[in-house]
Amino acid sequence: MAMKSKMALYPGCSLEGSASGFWESLEGVLGALDVPCETLRDWSCCGATSAHALDKDLHLALNLRNLTLVQEQGYEEVMAPCAACYHRLASAAHELNGDAVLRDRINQAAGLQYGGEVVVRNVLDFLFNDVGVERIAKRVTAPLAGLKAACYYGCLNTRVPRMDCFDDREYPMSMDHIVGALGVEALDWSYKTDCCGASLFLTAESASSRLVSKILRDAEAQGADCIVVACPMCHNNLDTKQAEIRAEHGIGRAIPIVFVTQLMGLAYGLGERELKLAHSFVPFQFAGK
Amino acid sequence: MAVERNENPCLCYQCAKCSTGCPVSEEMDLLPHQIIHLLALGMEEKALRSKTIWMCAGCYTCAVRCPNDIDITSVMDDLRGKAAAAGVECPCPQVLKFHQNFIRDFARRGRVHEARMMGEYNMRIGKPFQNASLGPKMLLKGRLHLLPPKAIRGFKRWMKKLWR
Repeated sequence: MAMKSKMALYPGCSLEGSASGFWESLEGVLGALDVPCETLRDWSCCGATSAHALDKDLHLALNLRNLTLVQEQGYEEVMAPCAACYHRLASAAHELNGDAVLRDRINQAAGLQYGGEVVVRNVLDFLFNDVGVERIAKRVTAPLAGLKAACYYGCLNTRVPRMDCFDDREYPMSMDHIVGALGVEALDWSYKTDCCGASLFLTAESASSRLVSKILRDAEAQGADCIVVACPMCHNNLDTKQAEIRAEHGIGRAIPIVFVTQLMGLAYGLGERELKLAHSFVPFQFAGK
Repeated sequence: MAVERNENPCLCYQCAKCSTGCPVSEEMDLLPHQIIHLLALGMEEKALRSKTIWMCAGCYTCAVRCPNDIDITSVMDDLRGKAAAAGVECPCPQVLKFHQNFIRDFARRGRVHEARMMGEYNMRIGKPFQNASLGPKMLLKGRLHLLPPKAIRGFKRWMKKLWR
């Protein structure tokens, strides 16, 4: 049952660069599931943590530009796999769609004509609610039985203020169910939605490494073989300096960080090269148990 | 561009739920509920000089938990923007420089060139060798590109209308 493509994909800057493994694995997985995916043309940066940090109107204008492209290119929905892009697009759309006066003002400043109707989708929401666990499970050719995973949602997947969330904000389960469909044992743990520090990783290193250490420590204590993420910033912060952070905070065991779509790809028999598993600093290997 | 505040600090009844759930409260000089209290009392200047607005990680925990529906994270954004625009001395210059540098980076082409963004940020904060081992390792793994992304036609000019 092929779905009609009313949705465009918005890759975002990280998924074209440091988190290309997230993008490639997502494309591979959507292909394996026969979900049509088209990429938005001419998209620009969502502003990430920086635009809204200094100028709210700039944040709105940047996202209005991308929402206008979605509208002009004939899509009803846009899916941003990156949690930060998702949060920026979704929060801007929530405000712009619901407030004609604000929309007019930003349209005027940006010289654009956004009509206020685009729906922004989250990748976990789409996989869990649109594709569904049954269909995800059905495609599995290499079950990941025996693998214990801590699903880490971070901040930005479930915390768009004032907008209905597709999952529980404090203890979400969509990713747990997705990896469960692959044969993975999703663990109960306490840091699912705790912050990794985001850009404090570069600006206030000690604060960020303290936050990362708490996440790693609990995942280790629960016996996780890996931490599963759906955000390039979470992936970067938990992975790239993990060895230093573990040494500093006395955490014994290395814990690989994988994107949820990389795990799906593995269970679908896609190659490790295609999934770019070797991009991570902490090596992840699953030989089957 | 003009910054307006849409949040009403007078709705706050000082339950401090924002501060107890804040992951970076120990880095702050004033706690989030104290910032909101200052605003309710009309003492914005003190909030603008605080370290708090720069250490906020933007995690939105406070915003979604506030029983009075104050989007505290966005209040922090507004204060930060105001402090930067007014030239208030910044107690965490690295954070301000990071955001300014990041915006400057994607303003050129419409998309971030991660390698340049990180390199330039290090230069601007006078620590050229910060995380120096990370860059080459990421390059080797193919996670950073030396060449910039393709420029989006007309973006640079469009952006000039919005950001000085």
